[in-house]
Amino acid sequence: MAYTLQWGQVVGFTGYLIGGAWLALQIAFLAFVGGIAIATINATVLSYSKNRVLRAVVSSYVAFFMNTPVLVQIFFLFFALPEMGVFLSSYQAVLLGLTLNVSGYLTETLRAGFQSVSKAEIEAAETLGMSVTQMTWYVILPHIIRVLYPPLSNQYILLTMTTSIASIFGLEELTGRAYNVSAETFRSFEVFSMSAVLYVVLTFVASAVLWLIGRYVFRVKARLV
Amino acid sequence: MGGSLLEQLPLFLSYSNIAFLAQALGVTVALSIVGCVIGYSVGALLAFIRNRHVVDLWPARVLSVGFSETFRRVPFLIKLMVVFFAFEVVGLSVSMFTVTATTVALAAAAFSAEIMRAGLEALPEGQWDASESMNMGGVMSLRLWALPQSWRVILPPALSFTVGLIKSTSIASQISVFELTYAAKVLDQKGFSPVLSFGSLLVLYFIICYPLNLYARRLERKLERPQGAPAMLAEAGAV
Repeated sequence: MAYTLQWGQVVGFTGYLIGGAWLALQIAFLAFVGGIAIATINATVLSYSKNRVLRAVVSSYVAFFMNTPVLVQIFFLFFALPEMGVFLSSYQAVLLGLTLNVSGYLTETLRAGFQSVSKAEIEAAETLGMSVTQMTWYVILPHIIRVLYPPLSNQYILLTMTTSIASIFGLEELTGRAYNVSAETFRSFEVFSMSAVLYVVLTFVASAVLWLIGRYVFRVKARLV
Repeated sequence: MGGSLLEQLPLFLSYSNIAFLAQALGVTVALSIVGCVIGYSVGALLAFIRNRHVVDLWPARVLSVGFSETFRRVPFLIKLMVVFFAFEVVGLSVSMFTVTATTVALAAAAFSAEIMRAGLEALPEGQWDASESMNMGGVMSLRLWALPQSWRVILPPALSFTVGLIKSTSIASQISVFELTYAAKVLDQKGFSPVLSFGSLLVLYFIICYPLNLYARRLERKLERPQGAPAMLAEAGAV
């Protein structure tokens, strides 16, 4: 039986799908902000703490989240936590799972950034009589932002794509809405190809915006493509 | 609560359950290996045709950039659905394993092309000039000096990307491929505690992925990336 492609039925749903993309962006943003917060604490512990136990705890946290699939982590939060008396809605489970997962990766990124500040730089700042605040503001931050900006925007884009997993838990973001449309019109190939195109456009726009911010606000030298 | 978990543990660790999970683990590993072997070969080809010293043809470059930019920007789940329905559109009936392996290969090709491109670009421009002045062709240059030098930049990120791919195969449980995650869902539905079924799943994935990541990191330290090499390329994998 030959399959005839029919885009006409699907094109009308473009606005609906873009609405889903907006939710995907929101989830990604919240998870990224949360992830950065956790990762900053983690990376500080890993880079500067002398407490061995604390460091071991943080490195196992990172190893755990980097070496297990995010889907399974959310499965665990969603299905296994109720057994321990913690009930999360699917939105909460997805958001928490993505936050925890990305925090593991971000810890590694931030730690590499922290390590890129050399001792000589800090000593030089001390010699100039800078206070800790001055040193952070004028020496460490400008340096770290330039080093960290490209990998962090990379992570952000990857996280935006990861949000498609939310559809598995019934959230109606871009992928979830694609499932809805495919159930309504039975034009599955067309719908999913169209969502693929939307994801490409979405992440490309996000990349371009991040690149522009990096280029003109932080003076980061990185290539777009 | 904890009591009933402990009571269930011996039941959960029965021979049949372990065999069941082991079989699923085999499928996960097979998916990853088949997908990686095909995907990395295609990825290498894409990286070669993108490099203007190897093949100086702009259509080839456009094809290569287009392929990897597109497939790197589509989530694994969407790729999976597109591949799944694409087989239907062209009228081929294939197994879910083939669908997933194809998807893994697509992801692997797109990301590894990017990793290898960066590895080749890390080589100093003067070496290409030198080999050109000795009348070496692109393929000969790759074989004799380019790849022997750049593999040390390519290998560590490729390894950690492989870990990302292994983790991505968990998404194949969505189209009922009998791999690890699907097996754990089956156990969960059979009435075993989700803490045990999904907990053991986490442990199993960790057992496969952690050594690979550890080895990637050791390799990276040992091979000491030359300057100009990319940091953190495609680290999180093709989710």
